[in-house]
Amino acid sequence: MAEITYIDAINRTLHEEMTRDETTFLIGEDTGIYGGVFKATRGLLEEFGPDRIVDSPISESLIAGMTVGAAMVGCRPLPEIQFADFISPAFDQIVQQVARYYWRTRGAFEMPITLRCPYGGGVGGGVFHSQSNEAWFMNTPGLVMVAPGSVRDAAGLLRSAIRSQDPVLYWEHKKLYRSLKDDLPDGDETLTPIGKAEVARTGSHVTAISFGYTYQLCLEAADQLAEDGIEVEVIDLKTLLPLDKSTVIESIAKTGKAVIVHEAPKVGGIGGEIAAILAEECFWELDAPITRVAGYNTSFPAARTMEEHYMPSTAQIAAALKTAVET
Amino acid sequence: MAEEQETQFSFPAKYRLTGEMEGCTDERKLELFERLLKTREFDARMRKLFRQGRFEGTFYSQIGQEACDVVIAYQLDKQDFVGPSHRDLGASTGKGVPLKYLTAQVYNRVDSPDGGRYTACHYWHPEFWVMNPSTSIVMNWIAATGAAFGYKMLKKDNVAVAFCGDGATAHGDFHEACNFAGVHRLPIVYVVQNNLWAESLPVALTTALTDLNHRADAYGFPGVSIDGNDVVETWNTTREALMRARSGAGPTLIEMKTYRWHGHSDIDPADYRSDDEVAHWMERDPIPRYEQYLREHKVLNDDALVEVRMRIEAEIEEAVDFAENSPRPAPDAYQSHVYAEAYPGFEFGDRNPGGANG
Repeated sequence: MAEITYIDAINRTLHEEMTRDETTFLIGEDTGIYGGVFKATRGLLEEFGPDRIVDSPISESLIAGMTVGAAMVGCRPLPEIQFADFISPAFDQIVQQVARYYWRTRGAFEMPITLRCPYGGGVGGGVFHSQSNEAWFMNTPGLVMVAPGSVRDAAGLLRSAIRSQDPVLYWEHKKLYRSLKDDLPDGDETLTPIGKAEVARTGSHVTAISFGYTYQLCLEAADQLAEDGIEVEVIDLKTLLPLDKSTVIESIAKTGKAVIVHEAPKVGGIGGEIAAILAEECFWELDAPITRVAGYNTSFPAARTMEEHYMPSTAQIAAALKTAVET
Repeated sequence: MAEEQETQFSFPAKYRLTGEMEGCTDERKLELFERLLKTREFDARMRKLFRQGRFEGTFYSQIGQEACDVVIAYQLDKQDFVGPSHRDLGASTGKGVPLKYLTAQVYNRVDSPDGGRYTACHYWHPEFWVMNPSTSIVMNWIAATGAAFGYKMLKKDNVAVAFCGDGATAHGDFHEACNFAGVHRLPIVYVVQNNLWAESLPVALTTALTDLNHRADAYGFPGVSIDGNDVVETWNTTREALMRARSGAGPTLIEMKTYRWHGHSDIDPADYRSDDEVAHWMERDPIPRYEQYLREHKVLNDDALVEVRMRIEAEIEEAVDFAENSPRPAPDAYQSHVYAEAYPGFEFGDRNPGGANG
């Protein structure tokens, strides 16, 4: 067994899936010759050639939108937006075309598209290289969004996304690329199911609900609180759209307390949707106010001092969990 | 008889069509004429039915521009990809989509290809590879470019054709698509129908160019501007562009100068244009010009025209009956095909959780 990083898991899965399915192709900025700005796509051009590994011009709308026609004629496109912050020029194509085309054609054309979005802060990138902008897409039925928070899911969710017949935005957290390592057996073909959250750690006092990098912080906070005898249940959402409501609701039925954590600004973030689900569907099970630990309602700052201040920390998550338990 | 025909068409000599239609048999010339006339008659009938309140929404008339779509679509193989815009009735009729699917689309009935869920007048059909047009301008330009990429990558022999108007050439997606197709020499033909107006915007406020073929100069592939109301010139130009695409020589941009006789949609009085301008273009009506050409070449005579008209009339009648008898969709019929896969957390929504719903 070899210990590999989160980004290696992505790279390896891309190699495996592109070998397995000859209708796949990858298109993005600096993804071929350069192997990707983070090296997530290194070695793919050498292995699959320029017909299938396309170095795109700086044209995000094209990168996202050309996949619709390509999928219609039988391809399985794997577009990449270099930084999730650069997705806004592609927004029109993603929400109006990619997400809706299956519905618009009443099922005549499936859209098996996996669009990878490197996102998140903690890498000193400033506002155009740090955002967690997944919530921009929450109001878009037809779109699937996954966000792996572990090495295994970096591989397992990517594999599931590529094999899915639906368009999937795959949110890969830049801070986890090289900071997270795990054993991943060679030849592993585990498919992390899309649409299912996981209770990653069981506990009875309070539930922490998160995904991606902040899911790892929730695990750290749970470790710390365990020393004080507080048992935190940690849910890794894994899929952001459509949300797995029942796993969250079942957990709250047990703990009665919910703390939702994400990096994006609190207003309009995914935490609001989860809080609304809990209020609507398990209000009587709650015995403390729902808390959200989220990014502040500003743009994402550059200087390290400010970046650290902006991002939710393990200590802040632990404090919120403790407050919920003490309520 | 010949004299009668001369008097029937009083075009100035400059509008007279000349030259040969390369590689087109008389039989196909006649069939092409039938599709052009069918497109015109269908459109005129839909305009009448709209005024009678037979369907909701609005109608986007293509009258005046038919040749731009029909002539190239008619030459395509069934598997060739078409990315139309909202006014491209002729992309469907030219490719041979039966009229009953088009009337059902206009009426938003269950027998339209999308069962009434998408948008009226946005003609498409999956089996004919006419994609479902996006109302957002020039969005399909990118999809068609993707289809051309797919055909090339999968080593299929097919080509793609994308349609847009003059206004769309100002959009960033126009540039991103053309630029990419030029880099990768994709098998695609881009057709810009310059009808002088983008809804109410005159073309001079869209671009400082006079001839839009120059757009192609920026992308490293040929661009040509033609009279889109001249069926012969349109045939020869599109034929060559399609051959270029099929042979691997890459894209071509064709600006077709044309005119829409009516408003942007049928609720638009189009009072931003002068009567003289409309009259000027109605004189250049592509269909009678082509009819005269066929008569001069002994491909069409009065008897044949009567037969053609009868066939068209019958198909339109049948198509209108089909749509009017096609049920309106069930109120909740749109609640399907959001996703191809099943997800435990997905639901269409509950407006009264824990209570009674109606």
